[in-house]
Amino acid sequence: MRKEYREYHFDRMVQSIIHFASLAYDGTPKEAFGMFRYAPRFREAIETILKTGEPGVLLLKMIDKYLIEVLTAHERGKKIALCTFNFSPGVLKPLDVVPICLEPVTTLGVMMWLRGLGEYLNYCCEIGFTETSCSAQRGALGAYLAGLGVKPDFVLCNSIGVCDTNATAFNFAAEYLDLPFYQLNAPPLLTDERSQKYHRQDFRGLISFAEEQTGKKLDVDLLREVIIETDKQDMIMCEIEDLMRLVPSPVPGIFNVFMYSAKYIYGGSKEATDVMASMLEVAKRNASEGRAGTTSGKEDARAFAVYVDHYSAQLRPWSWLDSKNISHLGCMMNGFWPVHAPYAEENLKEGTYIMDSTNEDTMIDSLADQMSRMPMVKQIRGPYDDPHQWLSDTMASIRTYKPDFCMYTGTIGCRNTWGAIKILARDTEKMGIPTLIIFGDAFDHRITSWESMRDKIDEFLTVRGILK
Amino acid sequence: MIVAGCDVGSLTAKAVILNEGKMLSYAIIRSTARPEESAHSVMEKALEEACLSFDDIRYTVATGYGRDNIPFINDAVSEISCHGRGALWLMPGVQMIIDIGGQDCKAIKLDKDGRVVKFTTNDKCAAGTGRFLEVMAKLLGLSLEELGTLSAQARNPMDLAAACTVWAQTEVIHHLNNGTSIEDITAAINQAMAKRVAMIANSLGVERNACITGGVAKNVGVVNYLEKLLGVKLKKPPRVDPQVIGALGAAVLAYERLERNKEC
Amino acid sequence: MLNEFSEVAKTLSNRFIQQWKDDGKQVVGFMCSYVPEEIICAAGLLPFRMRGIGASSTSIADTYFGPVICSFPKCILQLAGEGKYDFLDGIILIPGCDSIRRIDECWRKAAEESHGKFPPFHLYYGVPHKLTDYSLEWFVAETRKLVESLERHFGRKITPEDLTHAIKIYNQGRILLTRLDELRAGENVPISGADATAVIISAGVMPRDAYNRLLEELLQKLSRSTNGMTGKKRLLLAGSIIDDIDLVRLIEASGGIVVADTLCFGSRSYVDLVEEDGDPLVAIARRYLSHKLCPRMFGSYKERLEFMKQRVRQARVDAVILQNIRFCDMHGSENSLYERDLEAMGIPCLKIEREYGPLVEEGRIKMRVDAFMESLNT
Repeated sequence: MRKEYREYHFDRMVQSIIHFASLAYDGTPKEAFGMFRYAPRFREAIETILKTGEPGVLLLKMIDKYLIEVLTAHERGKKIALCTFNFSPGVLKPLDVVPICLEPVTTLGVMMWLRGLGEYLNYCCEIGFTETSCSAQRGALGAYLAGLGVKPDFVLCNSIGVCDTNATAFNFAAEYLDLPFYQLNAPPLLTDERSQKYHRQDFRGLISFAEEQTGKKLDVDLLREVIIETDKQDMIMCEIEDLMRLVPSPVPGIFNVFMYSAKYIYGGSKEATDVMASMLEVAKRNASEGRAGTTSGKEDARAFAVYVDHYSAQLRPWSWLDSKNISHLGCMMNGFWPVHAPYAEENLKEGTYIMDSTNEDTMIDSLADQMSRMPMVKQIRGPYDDPHQWLSDTMASIRTYKPDFCMYTGTIGCRNTWGAIKILARDTEKMGIPTLIIFGDAFDHRITSWESMRDKIDEFLTVRGILK
Repeated sequence: MIVAGCDVGSLTAKAVILNEGKMLSYAIIRSTARPEESAHSVMEKALEEACLSFDDIRYTVATGYGRDNIPFINDAVSEISCHGRGALWLMPGVQMIIDIGGQDCKAIKLDKDGRVVKFTTNDKCAAGTGRFLEVMAKLLGLSLEELGTLSAQARNPMDLAAACTVWAQTEVIHHLNNGTSIEDITAAINQAMAKRVAMIANSLGVERNACITGGVAKNVGVVNYLEKLLGVKLKKPPRVDPQVIGALGAAVLAYERLERNKEC
Repeated sequence: MLNEFSEVAKTLSNRFIQQWKDDGKQVVGFMCSYVPEEIICAAGLLPFRMRGIGASSTSIADTYFGPVICSFPKCILQLAGEGKYDFLDGIILIPGCDSIRRIDECWRKAAEESHGKFPPFHLYYGVPHKLTDYSLEWFVAETRKLVESLERHFGRKITPEDLTHAIKIYNQGRILLTRLDELRAGENVPISGADATAVIISAGVMPRDAYNRLLEELLQKLSRSTNGMTGKKRLLLAGSIIDDIDLVRLIEASGGIVVADTLCFGSRSYVDLVEEDGDPLVAIARRYLSHKLCPRMFGSYKERLEFMKQRVRQARVDAVILQNIRFCDMHGSENSLYERDLEAMGIPCLKIEREYGPLVEEGRIKMRVDAFMESLNT
């Protein structure tokens, strides 16, 4: 890693950008956008977020608050856990633990910084990661391993049995930094009684582990708050997703990434609920006017991403789709599977979760169920065409949102989806949905530039007659 | 007492002739498909330069990918040991060697006695090797030297998606079509190259007393950027072409082995 | 005798398989050391550890798999697509690692499309990644399902006696292999690493009782041998799977001798025994799930390091070669931890990334092993 990079505290850098961006709208829009001229490196991403109005501002304020919590955790006497993204953070609140949500922090870095996180990605390889390891972890983790961020006290991983390269990164971090490690392990099945029981026991193991680390007991009142708040925000999220079924979809494409960011970074908190509520209002307004969620208000095509979105290009993929009047209807990362989700059709209900606040046990079970159904944890744990797996979830989303085409972009670290995508794409094509597989890396623009990817999508849309 | 070192690589073959520990001549040629043929030709060229013939040579050490198929040698030693030895002979006290050849890139650490203690090489394809630069120079219609010097005039170097040499070409064409200046593109190419090499070097831990060898050492763009990334000044081999360090090391080893044999 | 092992290890459908099939018996393939061979054996079937040797391209496999996948399962699928696995009557797939796990759907699609080259029995068998009381409970149930599926498909009841008998045979094989380790650990190494690899690999690809007999004979011969190899640098081979004898030979051609390993096809497959008392099925499940020597068991690096150190000491190892197949992040990243920890103990390590099968780059590996051996010898 370059010397210069070692001079800066990673979390503080990310936080200060988000912080000042979130304040920008406190003045007039003219002032705000005038100011962005002086931040050429962050400008594109921030502008794209703030153009959405209140939801964008609330999202940035939420992220800012989260990052401040991380930065001040130790001085407030709280323990910090290094967590996988698919780790509902609300779970940790009643345990008095502050999570570093690793992949979301990587995403913030690659979205905001013109040059991405190349130095941090490489740093992981310099100390021993394979170059083929997933970039989603390698990004921010490089900073933590180099001691340039806050220091985590222990490691919690929710990707064992789901994604090896992800689990490997957390395993490595725990060894390298000599930290205690707890892993939630997903068996290949989800809904059978045996696996359900496994998940719930595994989750109770996590609670005991965290209690041991903090020396504090699970706070049942806080737990209830989280359960109720999660339920509330899930209801709003489902309502937004329900609106997405309309043609044209009144939901701006970027709201999908807002939704899962809010869930990953601050799920179960009031702030996340506020972001959701604000988005719902915008979507409802558009719907009542019969407008699409795109800037032009028109919808020429509908897109669904079967895996993740592409983050390493200052949010250009979203602005580009928007400029083409394409409604982006989300990706696998939006598949949280609360019981009210529009894609949770009748025959798929057993793959969902409910938030049951009856007593401590039902609440813990609810969180365990939620954790075992987090995006990725649910869909890629077993054979792709098993019940409640990648194919069935993709099909459900396709039936729900009726996209005109599907896209796959991932990371070169993703053995799991690269192992089955060619087969999945055949199935979606058989359903009549043109499907494009793009080789690129969602967190590392040095693999394929967004411009090359964009040209491929553009060509695909023309050749397949999706955009006339 | 005349000895020779011969380095048969996949792109070029190099030979060095020493007499009593002093360099008499060296030669570099393009490799042919048959390593023994390349070895023979490059040796002839070096010998001719020194006005000598094959019969004058007392001991030859070969190195490089083709080293095991050369009939006229006394010994074969790996490139890594030879590079280490050659660099140390030219630059006493050197502790780290970064060598970027046509097909691979290596970082070698030496102890104070010049023994190889640790090394690493690129595990991948042409990205991070001289081949990458050759492909890029050809694409831009530049010589390798120009590729190095032009980047100093870059105004706005950008990141190049260069994880794969083949795809990097598409990226470069893209930038050309968008009107990006040649200078900026060359800078991006050199930076991408330097970043990959820096990662390899950093994985060994960079020593202050480091040098750069191999054909790419001639590209000032890559070297400058690499120095910035590693935070050290990289020594360049004095007096000889940086491409012949392996062959030179082989010749030094030949000299040492002959001396040792004499003692026995 | 060594030739016999070498023949078995180098031929996919070796003479034992042919004989077994000629006798009208059936073979079930598997491709990860977390599949309990004892259970397949107890069903009167021959468990066959699947390999990718002899694949000369991955053209068929690439039709199904994406680009950034380990070449080992790709080579296996390639061979199946070429009809070279036509002797299999069944296959058991598991989430050993992500590349191995994803062969499941690729295999099934390839089977749908290539008519009769693929076996009729196909089972996905889940193996948790951690050992706790509840994961063992889950795994015991999963193993019962495996028993039932085999019984149903192959029409033969598996009795506790069958299981107990199989456990005995497999344990005996493991004990014999441990004796081979002891011989290799001696000052005079009576067998090259390449030959030892052939012997060890053979265990997974021929009937175990016949194997045990052959191995016992070999051990007797080796223990009497007086012309062992001395004076060479003693190497331990670790990391991703190696079932390619020529790769071990290539490494040894640089002057060292491989005296130990921590490989999946190697010592990891025989270092721990199944308990012979109690419910045999539970005992089998416990042995396999307790097995933490593969990095798929996350959070157990320290135990693996301990195992590595123990083998280094036992076999008086001078240096360790840590290799991983490209795209194997688990071994690749963990190899760096081993490198850090072993070198701190003064044991030199060489870390390499390689491909499997037709993609192996001999020249590159040779160059690095040569240099490594030169650095050990100066």
